[in-house]
Parts: sequence; C-alpha cells; structure tokens
Amino acid sequence: MGQDASRPRPQPHRGHPRPVQPPAPEGTPASGPGSQAPAELAEPHRTRENRKILLVGREAHFTAAAVDYALNLADRLGYDLIVLNVGPEGNPGALMQSPYRRWLQEKFKRQALTGAALIARKAQAKGLRLEHLVRFGDLGQAVERLNQEKRRIEFVINASEVNEPEMAGGVNLPVFTIKGDQGEKIMAQLTGKKGLAIKTLAYGAASAVLYAAVFLNRDTVMNYFTRGSWFAALPIATVFVFSFFHGTFAHNLWETLGIQAPKKVVQPQPAARRPVRRQRPRPRLRLNV
Amino acid sequence: MHDIAPQAVNFIDLNATSVIFLFLVGFIGGLVSGFIGSGGAFVLTPGMMSLGVPAAVAVASNMCHKFPKALVGALKRYKYGQVDLKLGLVMAASAGVGVQVGIKIQEAILARWGQAGSNLYVSVSFVIILLIVGGYVFYDAVKTSRSGGDEKVSSLAERLQKIHLPPMMHFKTANLTISFWFTVPIGFATGMLAATIAVGGFIGVPGMIYVLGASSLVGSATELVIAFIMGFAGTVKWAINGMVDIRLTLLILAGSLLGVQLGAIGTTYVKEHMIKVVMSLIMLIVALSRGLAIPQYLKELDLIGVNPATLKVLGVISFLTMCLALGVGAVIILGSMWRAKRKEAASAAQYALEETYGKV
Repeated sequence: MGQDASRPRPQPHRGHPRPVQPPAPEGTPASGPGSQAPAELAEPHRTRENRKILLVGREAHFTAAAVDYALNLADRLGYDLIVLNVGPEGNPGALMQSPYRRWLQEKFKRQALTGAALIARKAQAKGLRLEHLVRFGDLGQAVERLNQEKRRIEFVINASEVNEPEMAGGVNLPVFTIKGDQGEKIMAQLTGKKGLAIKTLAYGAASAVLYAAVFLNRDTVMNYFTRGSWFAALPIATVFVFSFFHGTFAHNLWETLGIQAPKKVVQPQPAARRPVRRQRPRPRLRLNV
Repeated sequence: MHDIAPQAVNFIDLNATSVIFLFLVGFIGGLVSGFIGSGGAFVLTPGMMSLGVPAAVAVASNMCHKFPKALVGALKRYKYGQVDLKLGLVMAASAGVGVQVGIKIQEAILARWGQAGSNLYVSVSFVIILLIVGGYVFYDAVKTSRSGGDEKVSSLAERLQKIHLPPMMHFKTANLTISFWFTVPIGFATGMLAATIAVGGFIGVPGMIYVLGASSLVGSATELVIAFIMGFAGTVKWAINGMVDIRLTLLILAGSLLGVQLGAIGTTYVKEHMIKVVMSLIMLIVALSRGLAIPQYLKELDLIGVNPATLKVLGVISFLTMCLALGVGAVIILGSMWRAKRKEAASAAQYALEETYGKV
C-alpha cells in the first residue's frame, strides 16, 4: 500500500479525485460508473464529490472491528465514509404503525446515533469525512436507494454477516461482508432474549391455569381447605406450589422488562476474564453479476 | 387469639373490586416488604377486614401469604448476597418464644378487658414503639445521608460486640461477631411485636442494625428469613383451625410475589440509607394512623366521651393514613429505583459503546 509517494496527508476536505487508484485488499472493487448519474457530466462546474465507502449493518451498533476496518480503508483510499444503520421495518400491511413498533424504531435511532457519535470522533481523528444515516426496512433496498441518492459510493462493507442474503438482490455495488464471530454473537443475542420471553409466557400460563383451577372450583376448594387438622396441609402445600410458579413468572417478567439487579451485585466475585482473541475480520468479496 | 369454631366463620363472597383491591394492596405490601424486610401486613389485615372478612380469617389468610412471600424475597436477596442465614435462624428461635409470650399476653388482656381493651393495647403499643423506633431510624437516616451515605456501625453495637459472653457467634454475611445472648432480646421482641401488631420487623430490623451492628441491607434481608419461619409456624396453627381463606391468600400472593421481587431488586439500586428512610417514614405515618384510632377504643372502654360522628371520621382518616403509609413507601422505592436505573443505563451505555468501538 502507499505506492503513490506524492499522496498528500489526510485533510478535512478532499474534493479532488485520486490520480491513481491504489489497490484495495483482496480484489479491486469495480469503480462503478454505472452508479454515477449522467447528470454529473451535465454539471461540470460542480466540484466533484469524493468517492465514498458505505458501511452498513442491521444492528444499532457496529463492532469495533468493523468500524476500524472501514475507517482504515477509507483512510488509505482517501474516501469518505457513510455509515448506515438499517433497522427493523414496521409492519407494512398495517394501516397504522403500532406505538410499540414506533417506540422500537425510536430506540434503534437513538442507539444508532449514540454509536455514530463515537465513530464520528474516530473519523475526525483521522481527518475523514463521515456521514451517518438511519433507515428502516429491507437491507438491500435501503442500500440501493442510498446508492441512487448519493453519488460515488464505490462499494459496500456489510457488517451483518447474517443478513448477507438480504443484500443479494437489488444492490448494484460490490459488497464486502465481514466474516468473523459476529454470526454467533447475533445469534446468541436472539436466543437469549427470546428464551427469556418464552419462559415468562410459559410460567405465566402455568400460573394462570393454577389460579383458574382454584377459582373455578372455589366451593370445593373452600370446603376441603378449611376443614382443619390434617387438611391444613392443603392450603400450605398450595401456596408453595403457587409461589413456585407465580414467583418464577414474576422473576422472569421483571427480567424480560429489563428490571434486574446490576451485574456487579449478582456476581460479587468477578469470574476470571478469559483473554479475548481479537479476530481480524477477513472480508471476502462477493460480486453481484 | 382464642379459637373460633369453624362453623361460625363466614367466608366472604368476592367481587371484582375486592379482587383488584387485594391484588394491588398485595403488590404494594410486597414491594415494601422486599425492600425493608417487613411491612404490608399491617395494611392487609385491616384492609381485608374492611372488606368484611372476620378478624381471625384476615389474620390467618394474611399469615398464609406472608411466609411464601418472605421465602421468595429471601431467596432473591440471598442471591444478592444480603441474607445472613445463620443470624436469621438464631433470631427466629428467640422470636418463636416471643410470639408465644405475645399471644399469651393478648389472650390475658382480651379476657380481662374484652375486645376493646385488646384493641387499645395493640394500638398503644403501635404508637409508642413506632414513634420511638421510627423517629430514631429517621434521624439516623438523615444523619447518614448528610455525611455522604456511608453507613457506620452504631457505637452501641460496637460496644456490645466487644463484650465476651459465651457462646460467641460469628455471622459471616453480616460480618459481625457477637454473643448469642444479645440476639435473644431482639428476636424475642420481634416475636412479641409480631404477635401484637403483626409486623415484627419494625423492631427486628432496627434491632439488628443498631444493637447487633448489621448493615441496613443485611438487616432487612435477614428479617425475611425470620418472617418466613414465624409466618410458617403461625400459619400451621391457623390452618389447623381451618381459618385460612385460600382465595384471599392467593389473590394477595398474586400481587405480592410481583412486588417483593421488585422491592428486592430495588435494594441493589439505591443507597443503603434509603432503606432506613422508607422504613422510618412508614413507621411514623402508621403510628399517626393508629393514634387516630385510639379515641375509638378509649370511648368503648368508657374512658372518654367522644361524638360518634367524630369517631367515624377519625376511623376513615386512620385507615386512609395507613394506606398513605404504604403508598409513600412505594413511591419512594419506585422513584429511587427509576432514578438510579436511568443513571446506570446512561453510564452503562457509554461504557458499552466504548467497549464496542474501542477507545477513541
């Protein structure tokens, strides 16, 4: 890298295109003349916009690996960076966006913005221009729409390996998907939250069944439970059973809602931290033809 | 409590209002209980009675809900490392004795001065104990919060811990070593108070804090163990007499199991002296509530003459004040949790982001 010795140091504003295209890692991305609108030729008096890389992901946050990779690449190439978070779509068939969906989208936006602020700081440190956008809906469609909006996006770095198929159709740009341990991370997250919700519902259902059983048969129940002497075991055993099911339901409910003790309380002795092996992401090129 | 023949007991019919009422009061009672280690009972029993439940059934059903709620709360706070099991068991032993003595005294007063006399005795005990203890705890809580929120072992506890009177016992979680004999009066008083006003923790928790030297967290958590054991023993006695209305118990449990866990979680979010604040405020307001009910009993014993209409008004205010006590406790607990959670979420998000993106 860096065979162009006269390449100027990074500057905040770079309006001029590079005379020589330094090779990018693992294959040269086809500079996409197709993505350039013919209008550009019709407006020669406008300063040519810089080329851009698009970093896109399905989550509100990117991993450090993805961000660093994109920033370093943009730095080496002298491109600008566009960071795009694509959130989950609202229900397209519904007449009205449910408030819950809207709340989810707002939350996604907020988290993405907070994350982007940190990326922006890093970009500024390198002297790169950064733009951040949040969209919702299909990943491929969002990228392609952006591609047509913005000019000179050279290629895409996809930070969500799991969503690679979504990008397959409709994106007229080369897509680099960062492969690594991201897949497992995303999967782990889903099962964790989902598992908890399922458990909550299960215990809640059990609790509801128990309550129904008692209250639909209250006359029989009251008859036996208040007989005294050995029948005293009945109410006592009953509350233990109810406490188990309803208590566990209550515990899971609060956890699902995110109300739980801070981690440091539940684990007073911190577990020995296994050293985390930073895996260098290895982008593999997939050309769309 | 004298035994009532089961045939004479009348179990009320439940409607939607009473169901919701029991659930809500159960929830708030559980919330307070999970946080300060005791509470809720003194609202639940009169609350049930205001629905028309006979006193004995109210006490029995309340007790039957109390011990599983205390169990769930104790288990949760045990996971947070706040429960000193050994201390709880040791104190439960003397508490058991205290309960029996308390019951005997109640029965003697009932026999001598009748129901009104018994109620007067109960109410006066309430007021005196709650004012003194509640006032002191409140003063101490204010002092702690002014000095920066770090709890210190009281000087009395320090002195007592130094006295070597075998058998000396070491309590690991509470982090104190003290003679067994000093735990006896606290446990005994807890049991007696539980038998009298149904809430032993108002003596038990401050006793553990100021006399034995445990922290607010450990004191309130360990109290749940004592409450479980006493509640279980008491329930067995009541259930054998067929006094437990399981429907009431289950409805209250529905709410209180939710509340007690929330209260337990709350203790991990707030500064420790908040426990003292909530407890003392509740105690003071309940003392006021009971004080307003005393004229009623004085009149019934012909000790004073009061207008019946005034008595009625006082009675209503007394009940509302009691609900206010719980309400205030709940609001403070939930409010502090809310604030602490927002602060924690903000700093955790920041921390998580920096972890994700690496240092900038």
